[in-house]
Amino acid sequence: MKIIISILLVIVSLFANDATIDVVKKADSLPSIAVEDSSVSYDQTFKSKFFKALVADLNVLSIFNVDRNHRTAQYDAGSVLVENKDMNYVLRYKLSEDNSRALNVEIKIISKDDVVLTKNYKVKTSDIYMFVAHTIAFDINEFMGESPVEWMKRKVIFSKMTDSQKSELVVSDYTLTYQYVVVKGGFNVFPKWANKEQSAFYYSSLDGKKPTLKYVDTKTGKSQVMMSSDGMMICSDVNEDGSKLLLTMAPKGQPDIYIYDVKTKNTKILTNYGGIDVGAQFMEKDKIAFVSDRLGYPNIFSLNMSSGSVEQVVHYGKSNAACSVFGKYIVYKARESSDAFGNNTFNLHLVSTETDFIRRLTAVGVNEFPRFSVDGDAIIFIKNYQSQSSIGIIRLNHNKNYLFPLKNGKIQSMDW
Amino acid sequence: MKKVVISSVFTALLVLSGCGDKDPQVEATDSAATQEVSSKPVQTVSNNNGSVASDSTESTSEAMARLEKELKAIYFDFDKFNIKADMQGNLSADAGVVNTKAKMFFVKLEGNCDEWGSDEYNFALGLKRADTVKKALIAEGVDTSRISMVSFGESNPACADKTKECWAQNRRVDFKLLP
Repeated sequence: MKIIISILLVIVSLFANDATIDVVKKADSLPSIAVEDSSVSYDQTFKSKFFKALVADLNVLSIFNVDRNHRTAQYDAGSVLVENKDMNYVLRYKLSEDNSRALNVEIKIISKDDVVLTKNYKVKTSDIYMFVAHTIAFDINEFMGESPVEWMKRKVIFSKMTDSQKSELVVSDYTLTYQYVVVKGGFNVFPKWANKEQSAFYYSSLDGKKPTLKYVDTKTGKSQVMMSSDGMMICSDVNEDGSKLLLTMAPKGQPDIYIYDVKTKNTKILTNYGGIDVGAQFMEKDKIAFVSDRLGYPNIFSLNMSSGSVEQVVHYGKSNAACSVFGKYIVYKARESSDAFGNNTFNLHLVSTETDFIRRLTAVGVNEFPRFSVDGDAIIFIKNYQSQSSIGIIRLNHNKNYLFPLKNGKIQSMDW
Repeated sequence: MKKVVISSVFTALLVLSGCGDKDPQVEATDSAATQEVSSKPVQTVSNNNGSVASDSTESTSEAMARLEKELKAIYFDFDKFNIKADMQGNLSADAGVVNTKAKMFFVKLEGNCDEWGSDEYNFALGLKRADTVKKALIAEGVDTSRISMVSFGESNPACADKTKECWAQNRRVDFKLLP
């Protein structure tokens, strides 16, 4: 018996860290948490918005069963509300506005009548309240000893189509609650953060005679032209330290992948197939993944930049036109139907370069533009379904998806 | 769970714990940057338009607009970039206009796709369509130096309905004239 159990434990441990295997946690087994509002400032509308943002963040953590009832309580009350007595945890918070109109937030977590965590937060203006909510969720996740959710505090940059050949570049939080337009007017697409700190970004401008790659420093607001190419000019990926870019260019009408050195400003062509090679992503050292139609349909391949050898890395899907890479994992978009005029469905799938497992991550609609978070913990993507554009978050280790709809316009592309 | 009270009070204008004094500052700086950056493309666009208006005569602009109407779009099959037999007539007519009435202008070929995908592959498909038309124009005697290309992917639909006919109208290459 001990031997059998040992073998089982070894098998479980072997697959425990493989994200391509579905992890199904029963909701009932998650600890419960309720949220109590003790705010002393702001109107009901703002209080309600903050409460909803906090509950949404706690849900996205995927480690609690979150009670959605908005209840009020005295901040210093010794025990939790009667309705919340059976909860494993109660998060109580107090919003208060000081003389400088800054938003102050005090929180405490109560478990079995004991206060187990307290923290205070302060921001200059209340319009960035959602970042406080994200940070509270981040801190609670850390307190619970779960794997980090650094991505929750990161910003998303996306191109929003407002009309034919018209778009805006927008920076937002991951729930799209806070948005500000960073590039307005013109036709600008494929924004890409230029570094880990998200202090600058690249984007493609399609307004001039030739598509042009531009760089914007968000601290100074200065914009500079990087380079132009006939046909296409897109920054597909930026390496970890921001020193190298993978570009798609077509100076002679042929879309190919290039690598650009930011310091030396040298550009080197990496692919020269006569069809379509696009969407390159940095993989492990010296390797990139990219989309190519070299087998007659779009699929994901890898290229060893030293040897030049090309290898097919995805073997499932009729039309796999986009991918993102994190370590040994590749998430890609696959068209599920071959009917040119049917109700086409595009779903995201996850594969590992080390196993043959394939995990389907989405079920309905047009799901595209997958991007791993910086820590690989989550995947962000664009979902277009029933004329609505949303940003989706997939928590890989918790097997849960969350959608945050865009009120108007269509998201063309984005980066996290 | 340990019943330990973990308390940390942040007195600065910070949101983030630990490494957190950047975000609000970045937000504030970004807001300032927003105004500057967002004003630039608008200025660039208006400057371009201004120079077109001032450097060119009215009749030239009108001639370009009139000739663009004579240039017929080339339509493609789903996921294809080869020129269909029934588009050959349009292409020959277009080459005729480009070689004669519009010979003083540059030609910009705009590749477009239907709505199935906003990724780079769809943009590349639009470009391959433009490139096919470019090669056909060169074969008809148009000087290659007069032709530039751009792909708009799915972002420039001629029709927004969810029908076969509509999608077919969006898989096309448009001709634009440049001075």
